[in-house]
Amino acid sequence: MSTLTRFSAIPYTGPAPTNRNPYVPADVATIDARGAEIAARAGVALEQETGLDLPAFIVAKEAIVPTLRALRDHTEFQFDLPLDLFGVDYPGREQRFDVVYQLYSVKNNERIRLKVRVGETESVPTSVDVYRAFDWFEREVFDMYGVRFEGHPNLRRILTHEMFQGHALRKDYDPAQRWLLSEQGVAKLKPKIDPRFEVEHSDFERVTLNLGPSHPAMHGTLRCAVTLEGETIVGADQEIGYLHRCFEKMSETHTYQQVIPFTDRLNYCSAVINNVGYCMTVEKLLGVAAPERAQHVRLMLSEFYRIADHIVCIGTNLVDLGALTNFWYLFQPREEIIALAESCSGARLLPTYLRIGGLAVDVPADFLSNSQRIVNMLPKYIDEVEALVMKNRIFRDRTEGVGAITKEDALNFGFTGPCLRAAGVPFDVRKASPYLGYETYDWDVPYAEGGDTYARFLVRFEEMRQSIRILQQAIDRGLPSGPVIVDNPYVALPPKEKVYNEMESLIYHFKLIMHGIQPPVGEAYFQVEGGNGEVGFYIVSDGTKNPYRVRVRPPCFPIFEAYGHMIMGQTIPDAIATLGSLNIIAGELDH
Amino acid sequence: MPVTRTAPGIVRVEREAMTLSQRAYLPQILGGMLRTFRHFLRNLFNMKGLPTISYPEVKRVYSERFRGRHILTTREDGTTRCVACYMCSTACPAECITIEAGEDQRTREKFPVRYDIDLLRCIFCGYCVDACPEDAIYMTRDYEMSIDTRARAVVGLRDLVVPPDFPVEPMGWRPYYGKMDKRGTAGGTGIGQPIREAPYKEEMPIPNPDVYRGA
Amino acid sequence: MPVLKNDSSIIERKTGVAPGQGPEKGLITLPGETANESDDLGGGSYLTTKLDTMVNWARGNSLWPLPFGTACCAIEFMSMVSSAYDIARFGAEVVRFSPRQADLLIVAGTIVDKLAPVLKKIYDQMPEPKYVLAMGACATSGGFYRAYHVVQGIDEIIPVDIWVPGCPPTPDGLMYGILKLKEKIERGEIKRG
Ligand code: SF4
Ligand code: SF4
Ligand code: SF4
Repeated sequence: MSTLTRFSAIPYTGPAPTNRNPYVPADVATIDARGAEIAARAGVALEQETGLDLPAFIVAKEAIVPTLRALRDHTEFQFDLPLDLFGVDYPGREQRFDVVYQLYSVKNNERIRLKVRVGETESVPTSVDVYRAFDWFEREVFDMYGVRFEGHPNLRRILTHEMFQGHALRKDYDPAQRWLLSEQGVAKLKPKIDPRFEVEHSDFERVTLNLGPSHPAMHGTLRCAVTLEGETIVGADQEIGYLHRCFEKMSETHTYQQVIPFTDRLNYCSAVINNVGYCMTVEKLLGVAAPERAQHVRLMLSEFYRIADHIVCIGTNLVDLGALTNFWYLFQPREEIIALAESCSGARLLPTYLRIGGLAVDVPADFLSNSQRIVNMLPKYIDEVEALVMKNRIFRDRTEGVGAITKEDALNFGFTGPCLRAAGVPFDVRKASPYLGYETYDWDVPYAEGGDTYARFLVRFEEMRQSIRILQQAIDRGLPSGPVIVDNPYVALPPKEKVYNEMESLIYHFKLIMHGIQPPVGEAYFQVEGGNGEVGFYIVSDGTKNPYRVRVRPPCFPIFEAYGHMIMGQTIPDAIATLGSLNIIAGELDH
Repeated sequence: MPVTRTAPGIVRVEREAMTLSQRAYLPQILGGMLRTFRHFLRNLFNMKGLPTISYPEVKRVYSERFRGRHILTTREDGTTRCVACYMCSTACPAECITIEAGEDQRTREKFPVRYDIDLLRCIFCGYCVDACPEDAIYMTRDYEMSIDTRARAVVGLRDLVVPPDFPVEPMGWRPYYGKMDKRGTAGGTGIGQPIREAPYKEEMPIPNPDVYRGA
Repeated sequence: MPVLKNDSSIIERKTGVAPGQGPEKGLITLPGETANESDDLGGGSYLTTKLDTMVNWARGNSLWPLPFGTACCAIEFMSMVSSAYDIARFGAEVVRFSPRQADLLIVAGTIVDKLAPVLKKIYDQMPEPKYVLAMGACATSGGFYRAYHVVQGIDEIIPVDIWVPGCPPTPDGLMYGILKLKEKIERGEIKRG
C-alpha cells in the first residue's frame, strides 16, 4: 500500500470541508437556458442534464450517430469541430460507463457535451462516419475501458501494447499491474491503401516501409508504416502508444496537488501551459481564482513557453530538412527562456511552478528586467531565421503544397491550434474564450491559407511575434502587487513562518498535506491554448483528495491521426517535412 | 512575412511571391552563407560573447531556487531538525522517501532512525521541502550526481544530514531565500512577510561549495 | 567566486574544476568504497596493460552517442548538443542515429513496455564495446510513473553503466555523467569488448 493511502485513516477533525456540497458553476442559469434552447431546436431528441458547466445532454446509444450528424449539419448550431471523446467509469452504476462526446462550434463559439451510458456488455455505434477524428478516440475508449464500438473499421488497442490484458482505466484495474511485451508480440502494421490508389497503375512493385519508432525523423516515439508505389505513398498507418505513461490513471492515484508534475510532462515543450490548464480546472471546481499577481506571471510564462515550444518545433523541423544551423541559433533564446523559468522555479524544462490557487513562490525581483532582456533579444533571432529559410527557394520547394489539408478536413479531424489556423480557421482559445486576462491585451490571431507545411511555418513565426507583443504589454503594465497564492487554508499551504510559529497554521498545513485538496463533488472542463492547440482538462471530483477522473484533451492526438491522410500521394521526404511541422509531442499524444 | 488584418484581432499571414533573385537559387544561398559566416566571424573575434558554457571548467550558476540534491538540516546542538513526521513522504508524488521514526528517551522527541531518498525515483519537484513543517529538508544546487550502481542511488542519513554550520551558498530550493539571495528575492508566497531569519549567520565565511558532504 | 557574465544573456557562470581534479564530490564513489572492483590487476603483461590504457583512453575520448530519446529528457539532451553546452568539446559530438555506428547509448526518457523490445533490439545491434547511460528518473527507475505501462528502470532490459538522476537532469548534470563515464572507461573500470 502506498504511503498516500496509508494516512487517509487519520480522522478529520477540522471545520466541515467544502466538498459536501455539489459543484455549481457560476453562471449555471445561462448555461442551462442555452442547453434548453439547443435541445428545443436541434431537431433530434436530447435529454438535457442541468447544473453542469457546459450545455450537456444524455443521448441513448442507438441515437448517438443521428444526433451527432444533426448537430454537425445544423445550420444554426454547426458543431463542426469534434473536440474530445472519452470514457468515465462508475462501477456502482448499472450501466457503468459514460462515453462523453465534446463538440465545438466555430461559428457560435460554444461547446457542448453529450453523454452515452453503456453497460459492460453493450456497445455503441461508431461515429467515425460523422467525425473522422473519433476513429482514434473510439479506439482509445476501447483500449482503456473495453467499450466496443459497433461498425468501427479497426477496433484494436491503441495506447497499450498488443499483449496487454484488461482495460487499464477501469476502476477495478490495479494501477501497477504490468504486462510484458516480447519481441514476437510486436505488431506488424498493414497500411490501409488509400481509395485513390486502389488500382496499381505503375510498373513498380508495392513495398511497405516501416518508419520508427526509433528513427530520428520520427522524433523518438512515433511509428508510421507506409506503402510505397515507386516513390509515392499510397497507404499509411500510424501506431502510437510508445510513450503511454498512464497520465490519467496516475492522476487517479495521486492528490490534486501531486498531479501538477504529471501535467508538466504532457507537452514537455510548453510545460507551464499545461499547468495553467490543470490548475485553472481545479480552481474552477473549487470556485477560487488565483490572485492577480499570480495570473500575470502565469500569462507571461505561458507566452514565453509558447515561444519556446514553437522554437523547438521549428528548430527540429529544420534539422529534419537539413538546415542544422537554425537549430543552434534558435536554441540560444530558448535557453534564456528556460533560464528565466529556472530563476523562478528552480527547474529548467519542467518547472512545476504553479500550485492550485496560485504560484509556489513569488517571482524573483529581477523577473521583469530579465523578461525585458529576453523580449529584446527574441525578434533578432526570429527575424534572422525567418530571413534564412522562409525566402529560400529550396525550403519553399520542399514545403509549399506539402502535407496540405483542407479547412473542412482539418475541422473534421479535430485540429486546433497552429495547424488549424494554417488551414484557414482563425480559432484560438485565447481569443474565443479568454482566460488570464488575454482579452485586455492588444494582439492578433494569425492564420494562413493553404494548410500546407509552409503555411504552418508562417503561422508559427507570426505567432511568436504576437506572443512577443503580449509579453511587451505585460512587462509594461508591471506586476500587480499582492500575494501570489490564495489565502485559503483548504487550498494553499499557509506561509512557512506561520507554520513554524502558530499552532493553527500548523494544523491547516498538516491537514492539507495529509488530506489534500478536496473539491466539491462534480465535473468541470476548462481549456487553454497550448502550443499545439486546445489543451483541455475534464475533471470529475467525488469529494475526496484524489481526482476521480482526469481527462486531458491532447491536441496532438487528432493531428497525428490525420497524418496518414496528409501524406497520401506524396514522397517520404515530404512526409518527414510534414511530420516536423505538425509538432507532435509524444508525451501529450500518448498521455 | 506580411500580414493583412481581415477582422478585428485576426490577421492573415500572406505568402510572398518569390522574387527573381529568390527564384534563381544562388543569390539567396550566398546570402544565407554570408549570414552564417558573419556569425562565425563575430564569434571568432568575440570568444567571450559565446553562449557556450565550457563545462566543467566554467559552470553555470543556477538560481538560489535550484532544485538539486536534498540535505537534512541540523539544529545548533547538532541534532537533526527532522522530527520524522512523514509529511514529506506523504507529499512526495514519487513516493521515494522512506522514513522510520525513533524516539528520544529523554525529551520524548521523535527523530528519524532511517531516512532514505531514492534519488533515481525522485523527480526533484520540491514538494517535500514545501511540506516540511520543521524547516528540516532543503534542496541544494548540486546537480552533479551520477551514480554507477543502482543501489548507491538510495541516499540515507549519512549522505543527507549536514552539520549546523553548513554554508547557505550552495543551497537551492528552501522555504525562504534570506539575504543570500543574490537576485534579491523577497521569498515566500507573499501572504504575511517573512518574519524568521534564515538559518545562517552573517559573519560566516563563504566556504568552498564543493565540499559540503556533511557528517 | 568569480562570476562570469555575458551581457546579452541572463545566464550566470562561474569557474569550476574538471572531475578528477579538486575535491571528490557527488555520489559516484565514497572514500573507502569502490563500486567496481578491478579484478585483473596484475593479470596482463606490461605491454598489454599499456595497450589497454591507450585503448581505453581512445575509447573514452571518442564516445559516439546514440541518443535513444523518447520524452522530455530528449529535449534536455538537445539542449546539451546545442550551442549553450556543446558536447563537441569532448569528442562526443558525432550523434549517430544508427546503432551500428555508435558506442554510447544514451537512454533519455521514459521507456514503456511497448517500446521495450525496440530498446533491446537497438542495444543488441550496437557493436562492442558499448556503454549505456540512463538519463533521468524514468529511464533509471520509472520515476514517479509506478504505472501499468512503464518499465521500472531500463536495467530490466539492458545493462547500465552510469545512472544520471534528475527529472530531467540539467545538461550540466548529464555532461557530468558523461565525463564520469569517460573517466571510468579511461581508468579501465568497465571491462567490455
Ligand atoms: S523532490 Fe519531489 S520527488 Fe524528490 S523527494 Fe522531494 S517530494 Fe519526492
Ligand atoms: S523532513 Fe520534515 S517533513 Fe520530512 S519527516 Fe522530517 S520533519 Fe517531517
Ligand atoms: S525523467 Fe522526467 S524529464 Fe526525463 S523523461 Fe522521465 S519524466 Fe521526462
